[in-house]
Amino acid sequence: MSPVAPLAADARPQTLDLLPRGQQAQVVGVPADSAVAAWLAAVGIAQGEELLVLRRGLFGGPLHVRTGCGGEFAVARSLAAEITVVSVAA
Amino acid sequence: MNAEDCHGPSAVVRSPVGGEPLESAASDRGTTDRRVVLLGRPNSGKSSLYNALTGGSAHVGNYPGITVDVLEGEVELPTGGRVHLYDLPGLYSLASATDPDSDEGVAARFLGRSRGEGALPLVAQIIDGTQLALGLRLTTELLGAGYPLLVVVTQADRLASHGQVLDGAALEEALGAPVVVVSARSNTAKALVLEAIAAHPQTPPEARSIDAKALAKAVLREATDAKAAQRRARERTGKIDAVLLHPIVGPILFLTLMGGLFAAVFLVADPASTFLDFLKGKLAGVITRRFGEGLITSFINDGILGGAGTVLAFMPQIVLLTVAMELLEASGYLARGAFLVDRFLRLFGFSGRAFLPLLMGHACAVPAIGATRVVRDPKERLTSILVIPLMTCSARMPTYALVTSAFFAGRSVFFRAALFVGLYAAGILSGLVASLILRKTATRGKTLPLVLELPAYRLPQARVVLRKGWLSGKRFFRDVGTTILAVSALLWVGLSVPVQPASAGGTVAERSAAAAVGKALEPVTAIAGFDWRINVGLIGSFGARELMVGTLGIIHGIEGADQDDAPLAEKLRTATKNDGTPLYSRATGLALLAFFVLACQCMSTVAAIKRETKSWKWPLFVLAYTYVAAYVVAVVVYQGARLFGLG
Repeated sequence: MSPVAPLAADARPQTLDLLPRGQQAQVVGVPADSAVAAWLAAVGIAQGEELLVLRRGLFGGPLHVRTGCGGEFAVARSLAAEITVVSVAA
Repeated sequence: MNAEDCHGPSAVVRSPVGGEPLESAASDRGTTDRRVVLLGRPNSGKSSLYNALTGGSAHVGNYPGITVDVLEGEVELPTGGRVHLYDLPGLYSLASATDPDSDEGVAARFLGRSRGEGALPLVAQIIDGTQLALGLRLTTELLGAGYPLLVVVTQADRLASHGQVLDGAALEEALGAPVVVVSARSNTAKALVLEAIAAHPQTPPEARSIDAKALAKAVLREATDAKAAQRRARERTGKIDAVLLHPIVGPILFLTLMGGLFAAVFLVADPASTFLDFLKGKLAGVITRRFGEGLITSFINDGILGGAGTVLAFMPQIVLLTVAMELLEASGYLARGAFLVDRFLRLFGFSGRAFLPLLMGHACAVPAIGATRVVRDPKERLTSILVIPLMTCSARMPTYALVTSAFFAGRSVFFRAALFVGLYAAGILSGLVASLILRKTATRGKTLPLVLELPAYRLPQARVVLRKGWLSGKRFFRDVGTTILAVSALLWVGLSVPVQPASAGGTVAERSAAAAVGKALEPVTAIAGFDWRINVGLIGSFGARELMVGTLGIIHGIEGADQDDAPLAEKLRTATKNDGTPLYSRATGLALLAFFVLACQCMSTVAAIKRETKSWKWPLFVLAYTYVAAYVVAVVVYQGARLFGLG
């Protein structure tokens, strides 16, 4: 199911809130709370999905994320800190 | 709304015309009793389609979660027979709805209940073609749940502008359920969808598991120049976002836009109100000449024109504000606003999700309280409901405009516009402070983190926007013509029938029953600068705050019969006490403004809070806290203003 994308040379798991802007990444871990995980999956943020951080809100504001399905979402930074990703080559 | 309603009296049961073969009776079982549920992700074009099918006026926006209730309509099929149509609030997933009272909870519950009612309804799933893979995730759940399914892929036009074409037949094959591809805004959408509903076998597709993402990829064909077109479309929204969501430019534009909007409401609508005021004055002159001085003239001029007519003059502001809000929402900007203010709102215990209902509260608290269902977190939602009455709704405008032009007429129009914007800011600030306190006391708890869709920008449809403005004007006109007219007439009676003998001195109004009540309150209200007239106004406007200007119009109309065609603001400014000193000072004006910023003088709002919280506790709580705060702040403002020499 998950698309096979080449991992970037320096691919190491990191949390989504620390992912640099414009860096394509693949989700490898979602929050443990199953209700939150289901909600995230419904908007296209689930294990194996790719996403891209377009921008960050000021002063710890939400992230503007584009998911692999083409949808764009605002995701609270606290939630992004619970999502693990690895960088992939664009 | 209950699912039981679907067999209401409007259902037309068509029996087969006498002697027709039974085959039509058999198929009739499907058509007469047919229920169709429109289901889809928020902002998928569901309500546009519902409107196209029923000719209805479901609120269509470009903001996730705009349908917060189940809408119900009936529509005739081309093959004969009718279907009951239900437009459900947007739903991302059948499984992940957290709060049963949230918009998603309403949709999931409605579906669940329909299972227990005989034949399963036909679920028409609306999928935004530009987000096919996301939509197909919900399809997977629906296939598993065993509903008869029709898939309607909308936004075919936008898909085409992205350079893509959807292979409907291939999708139909893969899902085992009929698929229609339409553009919800086009005229052919209705015919195509109704045809598909009529032809539907009414049986659920066989259960199968699909890979949403792979399937979406397989059925979307790219046109030759697809890549370039898609990139262009994405770049356009991206370019707009680069400005509107820019870390520095974005917030500045946002504040300018909001401030400009509220100032425009004042600057543009002010001349319109003045003109209507002028017309009213002329009409009063005609009435006086026609009927002479007397009770009839006083009833028409003071009671009807001075009461309801004064309120009517504020229609332009209300229509303008509604149109502006609709434009913001339909363009997709409101979701950006939510992104921009999320961090700020979190300081006060909200998330960006509460932004839409809080902003809507600036037009009217009643729909705004309904719109709190877009807030997923139950405690955050309750907090929004409790502070929305503090947002500056359009019904406050008549009083604001009256006080600013009565006491600050000498200042420049920009000063008065700034005062207006300041009043909006005061409403927002008081709401945030109230939330801060509530989230530490009555609604303590953690807030669910924000996940909010940022839809692509769309050009608002002029027809929809104008219709919205027209409806708001019509609704306002109806309110003025019914409730406000009736209360104005009652107030006129209360103010025209003296209960004290003429020997007591003073005008008729001063000796009336209403005045007696207002005077009894003076010992309490005098320290806020309110005399019996204002007290009567506050009592008159307890149910609807628009009535404040109406009541003052009646009182000053009866009292100052000699200057009937002067605008009310001028009457207030020039009114004097018996000793010749001005009746009101600017301190009183400011205190009155402060009172109106805070007090929840609106029974419709109280009813809406009761409906949404399902208890009397919270509406009574809102009444108590807003009135206490309004009184205390009015006293502080009045006494403070006097210290600064505005007494």
